[in-house]
Amino acid sequence: MASDASLTVHAWAMATAAMVSASCGLVGGLLVVRRMSLLGDAIAHAVLPGIAVAVLAGGSLGGPAVFAGAVAAALATVWLTQAIHAGVGLAEDAGAGVVFTSLFALGVVIVTLAASRIDLDPECVLFGILELAAFDRVRVGGLLVPRAFVTAVVVFLGVAGGLAASWRWQVFTAFDPAAARAAGIPVGLVTSLLLAATAVAAVAGFEAVGAVLVVAMLVVPAATAELLVQRMHWLVVVAVGVAIAAACGGYALAWRWNTSAAGMIAVVLGGCYAVAVLMAPGDGILARAIARLRLEWRVAREDCLARIWRACEAEGRDAAHVGDPQTWLERMAGLWLERRGVVRRKNGCVTLSDHGRREAEMVVRSHRLWEAWLGRHAELPIDHLHPPAEWLEHHVGAAMRDQIEAELSAGQVDPHGRTIPPEAAG
Amino acid sequence: MPPLIGPVSLVAVASGPGLVSYNTLVVLGGVATVGFAAGVVGSLALLRKRPLVGDAAAHATLAGVAAAFLATGRRDLPALLGGALVAAVAALAVLVLIRRVARTRDDAATAVVIGVSFGIGLALLAGITARGIPGSGGLEQFLLGHTAALTAGDARLLAAVSLAAVAIVALGFKEAVVLCFDPQFAAATGWPVGLLDLVLVALVAVMVVVGLPAAGAVLVTALVVIPPVAARQWTDRAGPLLVTAGVIGLTAAVTGVVVTASRPGLSTGPVIVLAAALICGVSFLVAPRRGVIAQWLARVRRERRWARGDLSAWDLADADEAVPLPLPAVSHVAAVPLRGADGK
Repeated sequence: MASDASLTVHAWAMATAAMVSASCGLVGGLLVVRRMSLLGDAIAHAVLPGIAVAVLAGGSLGGPAVFAGAVAAALATVWLTQAIHAGVGLAEDAGAGVVFTSLFALGVVIVTLAASRIDLDPECVLFGILELAAFDRVRVGGLLVPRAFVTAVVVFLGVAGGLAASWRWQVFTAFDPAAARAAGIPVGLVTSLLLAATAVAAVAGFEAVGAVLVVAMLVVPAATAELLVQRMHWLVVVAVGVAIAAACGGYALAWRWNTSAAGMIAVVLGGCYAVAVLMAPGDGILARAIARLRLEWRVAREDCLARIWRACEAEGRDAAHVGDPQTWLERMAGLWLERRGVVRRKNGCVTLSDHGRREAEMVVRSHRLWEAWLGRHAELPIDHLHPPAEWLEHHVGAAMRDQIEAELSAGQVDPHGRTIPPEAAG
Repeated sequence: MPPLIGPVSLVAVASGPGLVSYNTLVVLGGVATVGFAAGVVGSLALLRKRPLVGDAAAHATLAGVAAAFLATGRRDLPALLGGALVAAVAALAVLVLIRRVARTRDDAATAVVIGVSFGIGLALLAGITARGIPGSGGLEQFLLGHTAALTAGDARLLAAVSLAAVAIVALGFKEAVVLCFDPQFAAATGWPVGLLDLVLVALVAVMVVVGLPAAGAVLVTALVVIPPVAARQWTDRAGPLLVTAGVIGLTAAVTGVVVTASRPGLSTGPVIVLAAALICGVSFLVAPRRGVIAQWLARVRRERRWARGDLSAWDLADADEAVPLPLPAVSHVAAVPLRGADGK
């Protein structure tokens, strides 16, 4: 029975965390593509005095007064930063650094001095009160639901509604503010709406995970999604998905290891980002490493075949003595080709199968055509033709070979006087 | 130490006679030195246009402190700060790594490092607290700063490191100024610009770590940012800027220690930051030439002169700004040919 009750408490807290995280992830998508991530951080800190003053004036956490105070504080941050920039010519990053730390310090001092009178203290400012959220409940349609969860749902719907209503304008402004302005879109209003949405999401996030970690909830899901997808609407969908998954996962881990849910949610978010950096399709570390390795493997294979073919050509027969390979990768490629039967050894000599000979001929053909083309057009001395051709031979396809051949229209001889093999049939 | 007489007598007034111990004095001196050095080092970061370079490092220090406590099992300040320094450097390294391998924008990368590293610290800290590991009480003071628990030995360590940082800045002052104002020239002269930048970032990281006991992980960045911004209002020269920023940082730090000594519940960090912010706000308003009031007065005077028809004589200070051409003159010139065309 007792464990049942505690399970309910944890389930509600987890659901609250997921809802809050989703709101932050949604806003974060736009913040990240607009290069406003650090402004999100500044707003997350700066809402504190707004919240503190509103609570001091009698507003309750999660009530409309608190949200109004927070939005006012967020807009004040931006306005102050810009006023300082315009007034005394201070760079905006330094200005933001001054404003948000000062406002946060002010908030902490207010909260500390008034801790006995309001249900906020520096502890929950920094850690959030997710773990306590489930104990303060209200009745919604016959069901006892934590007040914080209701707030989180309202915030999510509000933020999602506000952004959905202005979505086309938001995206246009994010990617090309000048064109958006020229097209008659009220860019300032669109940006203010985004800032207000950030402030509202930050208040919800502040209650859940504390003022400092809101930045993780805002930025990390979007930064993760940005690595995984290309389109803006998919970015937002993936960001919200990552945000919800990390919130649930982080809460569960914190429950299991008996530590701060806020901290673990940020850690899991960091894990998601690291996995995305590593595994993103296309330009993740792993994908790039694999693509690079495959290219190097093909180059080594083709170099190996071409070397044998050239040796055979030099000796004028089907089998030849071939020197040691130059790199360990080429040695591996040679062994691999031998296993596949493409390369055969016969009393100290090496020979190619029909298939291997055709493949080698195409590499050599690419090489010599390219040398011939360079020799005609690039005015390079003859001993400078080999290195570029040695690299480009791996990147020239049949179509380009035909094109070069048609353009050269001279004999089938390269600048060194060697025959260019004909294109393979079929 | 004559400069300390003022604040010390304030402490005496605030906390009653007989409570000003030798320990309090040394802590006050140590934190004051930290404030001074943070202002000096921060000025260079501001001039190099990287005022927030320490922010990611600052948030990461918490994880370092918690990890160092877990490793040593004691709340020994040098060990904890050593851990903090390792974490700060690691955070900066991760930032550089992200820039190299991922296509995340710089600002988002910074935000990711800030959020995640602080999350790690918070999770470690909460885990330590929840398990009630003996001796762990007071670790949370590294979040917002708390100087009451510092010993004289701790304060001496902080002061020594801060003085070393100031000494390094003094030794490399010429190089630093050239690096800040003309990096291309520095590079063309053959100076190792990358290395100098690295030294600057390292100094900021060290100041962030040393400022940790006083200002806390969340707000220690302000110690490096706000005093230089305030000092910038008062001078256009690099040397005086560094010294002014140092003095402002020192004043804020001393204020924080003195105020929190009489209000035990209050953390030192927020008070230091508020004191610095107050000085900064006043500087924005009243500084000569750059201040808002001075600029407003200059504009009023200029417009009066223009109203009198005197367009020639504005002093050099006004000419520094991009003064727009007086509008009546332009419209007058533009109107002349039009009228002429009408007449024909």
